[in-house]
Amino acid sequence: MKSLFTIKSGGAASWAMRLAVAAVLAALMLWVPTRGSDSLIEVCTTAFTLMAAALSLNLLLGYAGQISLGHSAFFGIGTYTTAVMVTRWGWSPFHTLPVAFVLAFVVGVLVSLPALRIKGVYLALVTLALGMVFPQFIKWKKLSWLTGGAKGINDTGFKFTKDNPTYEIFGWNPWGNLRGQNVKPFYFWVGAIIVLVVYLICRGVVKSRVGRSLVAIRDNSTAAAVMGVNLPVTKGIVFGLSAAMCALPGSLSAIRTGTVTADTQLLTVAGSITFLVIMVVGGAGSLWGPIIGAAVYQFIIERTGGWTEPDAIPALFRPFFGWSKTAPGGGLFAIALILLMFVAPLGLVGLWRQHSVRLCRVVPKPAGTTTISVMAAAPAAVDETHTA
Amino acid sequence: MTLLDVEDVTMRFGGIVALDGLSFSIEEGHICGLIGPNGAGKTTMFNVVSRIYQPTLGSVRFRGEELLTVPAHAIARLGIARTFQNLALFPTMTLLENVMVGAHSQGRVGFGKAISRISAAGDNRRTRDDAGDLLHELGLGHLAFVPAAGLPFGTLKRLEIARALAARPSFLLLDEPAAGLPHGEVDELGHTISTIRDQFNLTVLLVEHHMSMVMSISDRVVVMEFGRKIAEGTPSEVQNNEKVIEAYLGTTT
Ligand SMILES: Nc1ncnc2c1ncn2[C@@H]1O[C@H](COP(=O)(O)OP(=O)(O)OP(=O)(O)O)[C@@H](O)[C@H]1O
Ligand SMILES: [Mg+2]
Repeated sequence: MKSLFTIKSGGAASWAMRLAVAAVLAALMLWVPTRGSDSLIEVCTTAFTLMAAALSLNLLLGYAGQISLGHSAFFGIGTYTTAVMVTRWGWSPFHTLPVAFVLAFVVGVLVSLPALRIKGVYLALVTLALGMVFPQFIKWKKLSWLTGGAKGINDTGFKFTKDNPTYEIFGWNPWGNLRGQNVKPFYFWVGAIIVLVVYLICRGVVKSRVGRSLVAIRDNSTAAAVMGVNLPVTKGIVFGLSAAMCALPGSLSAIRTGTVTADTQLLTVAGSITFLVIMVVGGAGSLWGPIIGAAVYQFIIERTGGWTEPDAIPALFRPFFGWSKTAPGGGLFAIALILLMFVAPLGLVGLWRQHSVRLCRVVPKPAGTTTISVMAAAPAAVDETHTA
Repeated sequence: MTLLDVEDVTMRFGGIVALDGLSFSIEEGHICGLIGPNGAGKTTMFNVVSRIYQPTLGSVRFRGEELLTVPAHAIARLGIARTFQNLALFPTMTLLENVMVGAHSQGRVGFGKAISRISAAGDNRRTRDDAGDLLHELGLGHLAFVPAAGLPFGTLKRLEIARALAARPSFLLLDEPAAGLPHGEVDELGHTISTIRDQFNLTVLLVEHHMSMVMSISDRVVVMEFGRKIAEGTPSEVQNNEKVIEAYLGTTT
């Protein structure tokens, strides 16, 4: 396939492109919380929550190939750790983040113990059970002294008082007004930082010896073991790490909403499915897939959120969704998922990779210290079949 | 010096006895051919040595150390690497990445170092360069960035050798490396195998059905039938052995 441009990986052009992407992202990051509307800031923060959760699931499922339908439980562990520690023990919500991380890591490793021996659909079932049990466990009467039972917990968030500092720079306050009502930019930043941290953890793991061993486990676990990959330990740690990362956006949602209940959508199995679908639509096994998937998902949900009244639906879509009494965003996204599975099984990122070569091909740096074939043993057949 | 010592190994699968009190040993630095009719138990033997199967009875010692108590993932670090008869590659990875995973036992970067990026970049660069060199040596350098899935069988068998060598083994087990190769290339592969043996100071256990190749490069040959060793010796001794001729020609007396 011919490409318009060819650039060298690690060369000047590739760095320029990376910088351009980073600059656009940075500009967006600054523009949204300072100039965007309140509702836009809200939507972005929700998208961040989903991005972080889908990223963490992606490390486990997209890379290591271990399915989990129980990530809503890890998300919920984050939510409830923050809620309980803030309301019962008076912790600052931000100090609860590392606690949630560690707690979810431990639970994740424990859950992985039965998962070490099982695969595929059985693993899906075991983790599904976890996702289903979690809200029931939270609502368990004997635990209501801690979790507030079915009523949930109130006032779990950050307290905005007169004592809070302000961070004005010449009258411009990127964090929002921490003493008053408008604190949405503040949550935006917390969400952005959580996504960044989760992304950097995933990236560090993926682009390393461990990351390669995860993909090896996914592709062929017997061969991985023969290469020296310690299967139980690697699977256990990646399960724990994925769970731990998923707790962070959970904590954020407790900080942000101020009220938690066990029936919140993202804390039930529906949450697990949401993370899963976002990851798949964006592109499993790619670092940007979950980020793009979450952005697209939240965009669709937002756009169709008002479609509960026939009059609010654009004329083009009215015949299809006029009968619906609930917003069809989730359903639309599901249709997008099914369509995508036909045209791009590797999600939006896969679609991009497939077609972007026409525009620009990135040539990898040559590998190895020599480019001469020492043995000159290349069989002719190999050359002929694969120059394409 | 004896490198590998297989003693009285029996492996049963339900009613099937795949290995039946098999014993043989391999001298360090040798290429040892392991031949036998289909179903003789050669691959099973490989799986026992690489700890995929736990044999019913017997003992396997490597440099005098019992292997059957060592976990599967620790075998590579002891210096044992293998290829698979029916390919066990990582299809979504490129050839280069496949070989990089082969070097897993050589690396030290775990989750902590990967996340904190301590020494991860250097490790990646070294592993990548080594892998690239190995691919070039096996004549696959031009395919380094092509995904493994969909390449011809013969190419992938070569890739398996490159991946196994990435572990810097002292003992290499090759399970039918010439399978799927056109006739003309079989001898060339035999040549490659003896060259890498010398270059990497290897001991090789070679399972192969191409007799001319086995006989020309092996120092010793072990012949199996029905999970038992029926003959052992130099290639010429084995070729003239009556039991072997019988097993291969199927003459019954
Ligand atoms: N996992 C298994 N479960 C049941 N039976 C097995 C298993 N692996 C091997 N066998 C049986 O053990 C016997 C020896 O098989 P093996 O694959 O070791 O033969 P081989 O010498 O490698 O033959 P070939 O030359 O065809 O590769 C066969 O009868 C086979 O059916
Ligand atoms: Mg075999």
